[in-house]
Amino acid sequence: MSSLPKRIIKETERLVSDPVPGITAEPHDDNLRYFEVTIEGPQQSPYENGVFDLELFLPDDYPMEAPKVRFLTKIYHPNIDRLGRICLDVLKTNWSPALQIRTVLLSIQALLASPNPNDPLANDVAEDWIKDESSAIDKAKQWTQLYAQPKK
Amino acid sequence: MKVEVKKVHCVFSWSWHIPKNAGTIESGLGEDAIGDIHGMVHEDDEEDVCGICRASFNRTCPNCKFPGDGCPLVIGECQHNFHVHCIYEWLDTSTSRGLCPMCRQLFQLKKGVSINDSHIERFRELAIKRQQEQNEFESNLDDDAAIARAIAEQEDTGRNVDNQGDIIMDQDLVVR
Ligand SMILES: [Zn+2]
Ligand SMILES: [Zn+2]
Ligand SMILES: [Zn+2]
Repeated sequence: MSSLPKRIIKETERLVSDPVPGITAEPHDDNLRYFEVTIEGPQQSPYENGVFDLELFLPDDYPMEAPKVRFLTKIYHPNIDRLGRICLDVLKTNWSPALQIRTVLLSIQALLASPNPNDPLANDVAEDWIKDESSAIDKAKQWTQLYAQPKK
Repeated sequence: MKVEVKKVHCVFSWSWHIPKNAGTIESGLGEDAIGDIHGMVHEDDEEDVCGICRASFNRTCPNCKFPGDGCPLVIGECQHNFHVHCIYEWLDTSTSRGLCPMCRQLFQLKKGVSINDSHIERFRELAIKRQQEQNEFESNLDDDAAIARAIAEQEDTGRNVDNQGDIIMDQDLVVR
């Protein structure tokens, strides 16, 4: 493996020394481009009190290419599909090398706080969300209870 | 006292002269660009760093060994500066759409700045390439929009016949 660019080393150091509230990100021992991430569900969202596991991978072309991020914990959200893939502009067309791992994770946290069924990735979820928002929110809460409980 | 000089070590330092009004990354992406930009750039506050690789301008980009002329910087029309190698690599991706990573305006080299001179031609070629992609993308969008309009018109015609009540409502709205 080629040596790790200084930018990635700096970003990693800062994620550890000055973590973002409600977010953890730790690089894997054998692959410093692979991070194990947890995000706490934002307060007053259907994901409140849940802790969600994600994986984040920095491709070789990072920061010219966006990090690859995926939810590992099952989540009921119109912009996150069954495989945990996330529909978020900064991960695709609006990526900029001025963004960082921490800004990406903050954007994902913000997406949990404000689901956007009009720009869906999980079409069935988005349809439910538009048809009957309050029961969709109930379902999201149930799933949070079922699948996103903090590990003791 | 008599001093005999046996050896002299010359030590020198250098740094790029960046005009002060040529903003650095402090004036990064606007708040509304991504919602929350905490922690976008805090490190190296006291130094001018490249917004792409985050190394000081007085050091090199990740691909170079020798700073200075070996890895020069360029100054953007938007007042954002980068190692030439960093910004060129970014603008060479189609994701970039030719935009500055910091402020998302079309990135252009500032005119009348001598350090930019030798790069102007290559950057212009890249800008043309990105513009062509953008045009293709937009004409595809136009096609999609035309199809959507045609479908909507069909549905409208159907509704005219079926449901006169709705039409009156629509006209009401138009009048107001
Ligand atoms: Zn750079
Ligand atoms: Zn270089
Ligand atoms: Zn700019």
